Amino acid sequence: MKRTYVSAAAVAALTLSLTTACNDSGGGDGPIKVGAINGITGLFQTPEVPKAVKAVFEEVNAAGGIGGRKLELISKDDAMDPSRSGQAARELIQSNKVVALAGSSSAVDCGLNRATYTKNKVVSIPAVGVDPACFTSPNIAPVNPGPYALTTAMLYYASETLKRDKVCIDYTVLPGSGGGIEGAIKKWTEITGKTLAHKNLAVGQGDPTRYLVADKNAGCQAVLYNATVGPWFAQARTQGMQKTDFILAANSYTDANAKTIPPDMTAYAGTEWQPYTDPTLPGNDRWAKLVEKNGIQKTAFSQGAVMSADIFVQVLKTIKGDITRESVTKAFKEMKPINYPMVGTPYVFGPGDAHNPIQGSRFVKADKGGWKVLPGGFTVPGKS
Amino acid sequence: MVNSVIAGLTSGGGYALLGLCVVLTYRLVAVVNFAMTAVGAMGAFIMVSLTDKGWNVWAALVVGALSAALLSGLLGAALVRWFAGHRERTKAAVTVALFVALSAIGLRLFGGNSTGAHRFPNPFGDPVFTVGSVVVPQSVLVSLAFALLITLAVGLLLTRTRIGLKLQALSERPSTAEVVGIPAPRLAVGVWAGVGAITMLVIVLVAPRLGGDFGALSGLISTALAVAMVGAFRSLPLTLAGGLILGCLEGMSSSVDSIQKYQGVVPFLVILVLLWWRSRREVWDTAHSR
Repeated sequence: MKRTYVSAAAVAALTLSLTTACNDSGGGDGPIKVGAINGITGLFQTPEVPKAVKAVFEEVNAAGGIGGRKLELISKDDAMDPSRSGQAARELIQSNKVVALAGSSSAVDCGLNRATYTKNKVVSIPAVGVDPACFTSPNIAPVNPGPYALTTAMLYYASETLKRDKVCIDYTVLPGSGGGIEGAIKKWTEITGKTLAHKNLAVGQGDPTRYLVADKNAGCQAVLYNATVGPWFAQARTQGMQKTDFILAANSYTDANAKTIPPDMTAYAGTEWQPYTDPTLPGNDRWAKLVEKNGIQKTAFSQGAVMSADIFVQVLKTIKGDITRESVTKAFKEMKPINYPMVGTPYVFGPGDAHNPIQGSRFVKADKGGWKVLPGGFTVPGKS
Repeated sequence: MVNSVIAGLTSGGGYALLGLCVVLTYRLVAVVNFAMTAVGAMGAFIMVSLTDKGWNVWAALVVGALSAALLSGLLGAALVRWFAGHRERTKAAVTVALFVALSAIGLRLFGGNSTGAHRFPNPFGDPVFTVGSVVVPQSVLVSLAFALLITLAVGLLLTRTRIGLKLQALSERPSTAEVVGIPAPRLAVGVWAGVGAITMLVIVLVAPRLGGDFGALSGLISTALAVAMVGAFRSLPLTLAGGLILGCLEGMSSSVDSIQKYQGVVPFLVILVLLWWRSRREVWDTAHSR
């Protein structure tokens, strides 16, 4: 019995010393360690993201670092595997002692690790917020609008810019995130006073003809859509819907998808950052130069990576005194809004229990197998 | 509602074709082939990769069909060589493993759903007539005709020809068939290759409706198996009907708001009920024949 007490005391002492060690998180003279959880293998692949974040950090380090300390990115691949994602977050926080996470791009990170970030008082600035939890957590604030803000912007574009009276929505919604899309539709109704002519948030796999026929019967003039592109347009064409405006979500904004849209169909896509296909747009010049110099793929995700790294560096530069996990978290919660030309609204983390600072979208149109950037800048619901 | 059912019915021909390919393989070589659509999708993507390079569509189609036949033939040869004496479930398990492997390779070679989307040639996309507000394109008639052709031709081949008899013997008693002098391994590999080529053609025909990327096309196996189940992996006419039923149910379930969320499940529930009904009759028959 006595022995048990002794070992219990030893364990307690060890835990105490470890806790103390953990509390000193990242301070001192060594490199500033920054974590990121990225999908590199698996179904959701964004290998360009950590490369682009590293490129920004190297640029800062070459110019002397921050307060003389170098930035070091520790990126972990979660392969879209929940157990690996959880383990990656714990390792980054407990073993690597990162001061914050910047430039994450994983389809499962936010939902799984939000509680870990809150408990450890560490902030995450994802390059790409994929799942809904990225926009509803106290310690996460991505640099993209995400599905909800984007949907409101797409509806606003359909009703106010394209001036379509009968706006419809055909969405595939992940289980558990349906409420968020309903909220996005409600927000559009509040701003414009308009309602949808037809709504289907359960678009599934298989032949899309049935959904298109329902749209036709409802007299839809504009249809928001976020699922597989090819068969949708092939069948819409068969059903004679050449006069309908189809507005696609950012996930469809790829070169391959542009090629699948028949030339006589009208398709727009809402982008999250300045359209990546045109490097001359505001904010894109810096990104294009950086990724070209480092041989990184030009994608929308690499834009998010450069932006999250830039924002992170800017906020770090405002910290007076030692850069630790505590001071970084405090700096983000108290930061002033940063105007970043690649997006529609200023970025701010701030206090609060949910963050979705970036609103609005810029629209592109499918044209001759590619995407044409439309004039008029960002559409921010209620503001433009 | 009526419009949605008609819209669903137009996709039935494609579903029926997929189901028929499964039943065909099962009846001819006694294997539930989970890798079927993945093999067909490989061929289809080889074809579109070639057309992207400027090849003539017909030449690319032939090369695609031949590669699917070759791949399917290799798969068949492996099953004949190493798993001939094994039970059906072991062979099915082998094809599941192959499905996983082929899906991973296909994803790597041809890209995922956003980067690997392809516009498949849609030669039968022109409208023929309109029912309600549904425009019925040529492809619906072509799919139905192709499905009917397979049903009739295979039915006749199996019952009225010598090679059909050999094939039946091969699928039901492979070792006995070999003893009586039927060149079982060669015939089996030939059947595998033939089914591979047919599957590829079916995949190319349904691609403009059912999916433009490798993952979506190889994933059609779940639909194909569901349809084949209606025909209990045996009856070709019932499988054809199963495809049409699945299409109708999909259309119907997407038009009713209260079940819209569960529309992916509805067809499978109905198939489950159908299977239960059939098995009930079998039990009844068995009880009476005693």
